[in-house]
Amino acid sequence: MRPSIEVAKKIAAMVIGTVQTTLGGLAVVFAYFLHINFLGLQENLNVLEFVPLFMLILIIFGLFSVISGLYLLAEREKSAQEEDYST
Amino acid sequence: MKMKRELGLFSAVMMGLSGSIGFEVFVLMDYAYFGLAGSSLVLALLLGGLINLLIMFSYCELSAAIPEVGGEYTYTKAAYGGFVAFASGCLRWLASVFGAALAALTFVRQLSYFFSTTPGLEAIFSASMPLVAIIAIVILAMLDIKGARQAGTMLVVLFLAIFAIFLASGFWHGLTPLNILPKSAPDDLSGVLAATAYVFPMFFGMRALVAGASQIKNPEKNVPRAILLSALLIIPLYCGIAYVAVGVTPGEGPLLNLAAHETMGVAGGILFAIAGMVASLSALGTSISVQSSIARGMSRDGYLPKILLLVHRRFGTPYIATILGSLFIIFFSAMGPVEFLGYAASFGSILVFAVVSLSLLKLRKKKPHLKRAFKAPLYPLTPVAGVAMSFVLLMSPIFVGDVNAINALMSGWGLMALVLLTYYLRMMGRYRLRVAIGGMSLGMGIFTAILTYLSQAKLVPMTLSSGSLYVLISFSIISILAGVLNVTTRTPKIF
Repeated sequence: MRPSIEVAKKIAAMVIGTVQTTLGGLAVVFAYFLHINFLGLQENLNVLEFVPLFMLILIIFGLFSVISGLYLLAEREKSAQEEDYST
Repeated sequence: MKMKRELGLFSAVMMGLSGSIGFEVFVLMDYAYFGLAGSSLVLALLLGGLINLLIMFSYCELSAAIPEVGGEYTYTKAAYGGFVAFASGCLRWLASVFGAALAALTFVRQLSYFFSTTPGLEAIFSASMPLVAIIAIVILAMLDIKGARQAGTMLVVLFLAIFAIFLASGFWHGLTPLNILPKSAPDDLSGVLAATAYVFPMFFGMRALVAGASQIKNPEKNVPRAILLSALLIIPLYCGIAYVAVGVTPGEGPLLNLAAHETMGVAGGILFAIAGMVASLSALGTSISVQSSIARGMSRDGYLPKILLLVHRRFGTPYIATILGSLFIIFFSAMGPVEFLGYAASFGSILVFAVVSLSLLKLRKKKPHLKRAFKAPLYPLTPVAGVAMSFVLLMSPIFVGDVNAINALMSGWGLMALVLLTYYLRMMGRYRLRVAIGGMSLGMGIFTAILTYLSQAKLVPMTLSSGSLYVLISFSIISILAGVLNVTTRTPKIF
């Protein structure tokens, strides 16, 4: 792979990894707020009947997003270490 | 380092009895008598003893054919390998953890009874029961890390003496005829079977012999003989204790303490409370060591993280495995009622027993020329009956509708699902896992995009505000990009 594409891919992995981890974390926090009905979220979003379903979806999506994002960030760290070793 | 084989048949039988006669007798008969079987407790114990004997035949043959350290884990590994060995190791670990939590609560109950004989102290003590259990676990975990030796095998003589005095004084006191006992016998067999399942942990401690096979002289002959002898001796002992206890107990409470109080006076109740405390502390210490050695065994085989193998610099003991297991024990002893823990410990071990019987069937086919100093009689009827009875014991409390049993079974399924997931993730390797997670991320992104489109096209009954619409679109784009990046990662030959 050409070096420029490699660098672009690393930057993309770092940015997307950070955003996805943050979004995943926020989804889990949102699920918690929904559970405790923070600021009357359940009534405001009109999801009173589907709270458990929404929480399940948010937690699953959130956790997978965090793991996927962390993988991308870990790959960036790993390639940085490999570069250090090669130089 | 290989251990010296220095124990003969007598010592081996004592080892089997010391494994069986433990704290369980002081706690499990209470609920079995007052809540499940009534005066048919004696019948439930007889049935439990016979089923235990049936399963012990499989243990005998396997311990004679494979006289190595590791017990059930080694047998299942030889028969099936891979996942079944890992699952049986996990079940044994869970049973040890639940057993340890039960031992901690038993200690607290006996301590509570002890203090109840001293007016004034009872109220102070009953308020801090969970705290006392946690303190006991922490102290024993610390002792285990420091490498303190257990005196478990020495206790058996003491307990046998105490039970002999109890039986003699019970018969001397005179028993109430069975038909006028406070609880009548159940109308159907399901209550008896449920009680059998609940009291089953009282028997299976004799498999400690299998774990200690490395210290026994001529293990091919002595281990099977000792297992069978201790399995046979324990039946009349437990049935006798239960017969006397149900024959003299005046009301509800800790069955053995009340019975001892009735036959031997206040001193009898206190003596049993002290015996119960000693037995539960000894069992708690042993269970902490056992769970740690099981976890290390699986870690050595690559199923669990290597960190569990770390030993303490000063004491040379596996402190990580001990601390981790102790945290689980603290959690379960603080959260679970005694009845739940009794069923949970029982179910875990019954499942292991079923797997051991299946391993015998498998090894007879897989390795027919393996040298067997002892052969299970009436093969294949014995292991097949062992498996069948294990499942009957597992299911009978559910049919009775026992909430504690249902909770224990559901928790067991949940934990088994976790075990499956751990095994799958561990065996899959880092790169495959990354591709799998990438695939999931891609799927989540596409799913969210389709859902957003459908809601905008009014094809699903869901209205989105403009804010949520932007969040969902961003989420789907990020998930798709992350998925593509993870899936297309540089991987060294993954499939």
